[in-house]
Amino acid sequence: MEKLLQIEHLSVCFDAPAGTVEAVRDVTLDLAAGEILALVGESGCGKSALCRAVMGLLPANARMEAARLSVAGTDIRGLRERDMRRLRGKVFSMVLQDPMTSLDPTCTVGAQITEAVRSHAPKLGKDEARRRALELMELVKLDGAAARYDRYPGELSGGQRQLVVLAIALASGPKLLLADEPTTALDVTVQAQILDLLRDIRRELGTAAVLVTHDLAVAARAADRVAVMYAGKIVEIGRAEEVFGDPRHPYTWGLLASLPALAKKGESLYAIPGMPPTLAPPPKGDAFACRNEFALAIDYERQPPMFPVTDTHFAATWLLDPRAPKVTRSVRTGLPDAAEPERRPPAGEVLLDVKGLTHRFPLPGGRSVLALDGVSFQIRKGEIFGLVGQSGSGKSTLARCVMNILRPQAGTVVYQGVDVWGRLSRAERRMLRTDRQIVFQDSAGSLDPRMTASELIAEPLAVNHVVPPRGSLRAEAAFQLHYVGLDPSYLDKYPAQLSGGQRQRVAIARALAMEPSLLVADEPLAALDASIQAQILELFKHLQAQHGFTFLFIAHDLAAVRHLCDRVGVLYRGKLVELAPTEELYVNPLHPYTRALLEAAPLPDPVRERRRPPCRFDEAAFDRSGPLVEAALGHFAVLGGEEAAP
Amino acid sequence: MSVIKRLLAFLLSLLILSAAVFWIARLAPGDPLISYYGERAERLSPADRARAEAALGLDKPIHVQYLRWLQNALRGDLGISYKYKQNVLTVIGDRIGNTLLLGGVGYLLIFSLALALGLVCARWRDRPLDKILCKLGTVTACIPEFWLSLLLILVFSVTLRWLPSSGAWSLGADGGSAADRLRHLALPMTAVVAGHLWYYAYTVRNLVTEQMGAGYVLLERAEGLSRGRILLGHCLRNVLPSYLTIMAVDLPHILGGTYVVETVFSYPGIGTLSYESARYQDYDLLMVLCLLSGAAVMVCNMLAQAVSRRVDPRMGAGMDGEVTDRG
Repeated sequence: MEKLLQIEHLSVCFDAPAGTVEAVRDVTLDLAAGEILALVGESGCGKSALCRAVMGLLPANARMEAARLSVAGTDIRGLRERDMRRLRGKVFSMVLQDPMTSLDPTCTVGAQITEAVRSHAPKLGKDEARRRALELMELVKLDGAAARYDRYPGELSGGQRQLVVLAIALASGPKLLLADEPTTALDVTVQAQILDLLRDIRRELGTAAVLVTHDLAVAARAADRVAVMYAGKIVEIGRAEEVFGDPRHPYTWGLLASLPALAKKGESLYAIPGMPPTLAPPPKGDAFACRNEFALAIDYERQPPMFPVTDTHFAATWLLDPRAPKVTRSVRTGLPDAAEPERRPPAGEVLLDVKGLTHRFPLPGGRSVLALDGVSFQIRKGEIFGLVGQSGSGKSTLARCVMNILRPQAGTVVYQGVDVWGRLSRAERRMLRTDRQIVFQDSAGSLDPRMTASELIAEPLAVNHVVPPRGSLRAEAAFQLHYVGLDPSYLDKYPAQLSGGQRQRVAIARALAMEPSLLVADEPLAALDASIQAQILELFKHLQAQHGFTFLFIAHDLAAVRHLCDRVGVLYRGKLVELAPTEELYVNPLHPYTRALLEAAPLPDPVRERRRPPCRFDEAAFDRSGPLVEAALGHFAVLGGEEAAP
Repeated sequence: MSVIKRLLAFLLSLLILSAAVFWIARLAPGDPLISYYGERAERLSPADRARAEAALGLDKPIHVQYLRWLQNALRGDLGISYKYKQNVLTVIGDRIGNTLLLGGVGYLLIFSLALALGLVCARWRDRPLDKILCKLGTVTACIPEFWLSLLLILVFSVTLRWLPSSGAWSLGADGGSAADRLRHLALPMTAVVAGHLWYYAYTVRNLVTEQMGAGYVLLERAEGLSRGRILLGHCLRNVLPSYLTIMAVDLPHILGGTYVVETVFSYPGIGTLSYESARYQDYDLLMVLCLLSGAAVMVCNMLAQAVSRRVDPRMGAGMDGEVTDRG
C-alpha cells in the first residue's frame, strides 16, 4: 500500500556563523493515510526542522538532502516554490505552537479562515467561502461560530485561537496535518479538547497527522505511533503501546523515568545526566553515549543502526545487537498504584497565614477582572504547599501579593506574625526582605542579562548588607552554585551562555543564598524540557530536605505537584475551590473543577488513554460560589448543592 | 466629550507655547530695532531709541508685553512684521502657499515612494536588488540637502540649462502658468524628496521584514498563500499603523525640512521667512510662525493617533471580548 508520507535518509543542516549545525540527521520515516504519529523529543532535537522540511518552509540558511521525500505519491524534493505552494494547504498543512502569534492580529478570524478556503479555490464565491468557513469553525467545535466570525484574534482566548488555526489548516482538506507543539502554550483542559479533536478529525475526514511534542503524555493520548528523536535522529519508533509498554532505547527509558506521573510518591525521579550534545558538528558514534549509563564501547565509535524489535517497533541502540550484554531496564511502564491517602490535619507552627485575599485588576473600557476572590489558607513551617490552576486563575497574582510585589485590595497576608501589608518597623521590613525569596518561571527574563552568575547569586546578599558566611561574596556564590549542582566554571557566565535548566539553577541559587525560611516558586518548571524538569524537581526536593525551608510551589503540571507537595490548593477563577493533603486530593477530588483538571491531564500510558472518554466540558461553568468547608479531616472544598460530603 | 477635552488641551498647549516663545525670543541677545529701521538703528540717539521702543511697546516688562500681545491676538490682531512693515498674516499668507506646494507634494511623494521602495526591498530581502537599493539609499540619505541642491543646480541649470535654478515662477510672469511653476518646482522637489526618501523606505523595509518573521506569515505560507499576497494582504496591514503614525508625526518635519532647500533655490516660502524672523528679532512674525508650526505638530499627532486607532483593531477601547488570558 502506498504510504502517505515517505521520508528516506533526510538530513537538514543550518549554516550558522559558528559552523554548520546538523539539525536532522538521516531520518527515515513513513506514515500511512489517516495515521497519527507523535514526534517526541527535547528542544533542539530537530523535530520542528523535520516538519519544516516536509512543508518546504525551511529558512534560507538551511540545506536539505534526502534519498526520498514524497507526500501522497508526489516527490517534493527540489520542487519549485510555485509548485510547493499548490501542495501546501491542499495536501499538507501546518499548526504552530503559539496561537498568540500565528494569526494576523489585524484581520478578523473569519476573514483569515475564508482566505485559507479561497487560497485553493479562487473561483469560490464570497458567500460560499463564508459558509465553508463557518462549517470549518463548527468542525473544530468553536462555540458560537457565527458570533466569532467577525472577531479579531485579540478578542479570543488562546485555546479558541488555536481552534481557529486548526480550522485554517483544515480549510482545503489536507491529507496530512503537521502540528508543531499545538498544545504546549495551552491549559490542560484546552489541551485535552484539542487532542481529542485531532482524533475526531482523523475519524471524520481521515486526516493523518504528525504531532510534534516534548510531552510524552500528549503523545500517549493522541498518537497511534510514536517516534522518539534525539540529537537529530530517530532513536526509537513504534506503535504507542510498544514504545510506552516495552521501550528499548536507553534515552526512552530515561525520558519515561523522569516523568513524575510514572513515579511512586516518595520515589525520586531519574534525571538523565548531562546535556544534549551540540550538533555542530555532531559527536562521533552514538550521540547519546555520554549520557547513557548502559553505553558500550562501540557506542563511542559507531552509530547504531535501527534494530527491529517487532515488525513495527525499531530502536537504534547497540544493546539490541545479538552480541550485546543483556541489560534489564529499570523503568516502570504504566502508572503506579495510588498511595494510601493520608487524612491528617496539618501539624506544626503556622508560617504564612493568608486571609480573604482579594484583588481586582481594572481593564480598559471600565471593565475589570477578579484575579483573587477571598483566598484563605495557611502554610506551616517546613511544608511543601502546591498551588494549581490554569492560566488566569490568579496563581501569580497570589504569589505577588504574598511577596509584597502587588498590594491586594482586601485581605491580609501574615508572615511569621507580621502583617506584610501593614505598617512595618525597619527590622520587620528587613526580616521580610531577607526571609522570603521567589523563583520565577522565565529565568531568561528574570535574570539581568548583563550580570554574571556570580554577581547574580551574590546580589541579594550585597543589597541587604548580609555578611557573607563564607568569607567573600564570590566564595558564597561558588558555594551556592555547587549546592544547586553547577561547578565553579559557571561563575563568570552570563545568563545567555547558560541553558534553560542551568539558568533556573542560578535563579534558585540566588534565592537560596539568603537562606530563606519561605521559598515561593512561580511555575519554575514550565519553560523546561521533561528531563530537565525532573532534574529541577529533584533539586527542589533535595534542597528542601536539606534546608527545611517552607515551600510554596505554584504550577499547572498536576503530576509534578503530586510528586513534590505535601498539601495542594486548587485555584479556579481566583477562588480557592479545594485544599487537601496531596494524595487525598488526587484520589478523592471533591470539587468538579478539580475532577475536570485531573481527568483532562494526559498520562503517559496509551492503553489507559485509549479507554478515556472524550473530554468535553465548559471551562467557565463550574460552581465557585459556596464557602470552603471541611469535607473530611484536612480536606476542604467548595461544595455546591448536589455535592455531598463523603 | 473627549473632543472637547482634546480641544482644551490643544488650546492650553498653544498658550504655553506662545508664552515660552515670547519670553525666549526677548531674552535672546539682539536688537529688534535693526529689523525695523535697518542700518539706521545703530545711529539712533538714546532719546530716539527710547521713543522707538515705546512706539513698538518694547519698553515695558516682558509679562506686560505678553499680556498686551495676548489681548491683541485674541482680538485677531497678531501684530506687524518689523521688517516688512505689514500685517504678519499678510506676510505669511503671501508665502505659505509656495511652501505647502513644495512640502505637501513632496510629502505625498515621499510617503508613497518610500512605501513602494520599502516593500520591494522587503520582498526581495538580501537579494541583489535589495542590496543595491540599500547601498544607493544610504548614499543618498547621507548627502546633505544643500550640497545636493547645489549639485542639481550645477547640472540641470548651469550645464544643461534645462530647468531654472531659483524662484517659484519666471520673472515678470506674475503667478506664472502651471507648466512654469512645475518647471521651477522640479529641482527643489527632487532635493526634498531625495533627502528624506530613504529614511522612510528603510523604515518600511525593516517593519515589513520584522513582520515576515511572525508566526502568522509561516502559517499563511503553509496554507499555500503566495509571498506577495501575504506581503500586501497581511504584513502591510500590520505595518501600516506604525508607518502612518511615523508619517503623521513627521509631517511638520518634512514641511519644515524645506527650509534649506528654499534658501538654496531662493524659493519664496515660509522657511526663509522663519529663518529671517528669528535672526533679526522680528518678534510678532516669529510668534505666529512658531505657533503655526506648533499647531501643525499637535494636529499631526492627534491625526496620527486617530489614524492608528482606525487601522489597528487592538488600539480601540471598544473591545468587548471576554477576558480570559492573563498570567
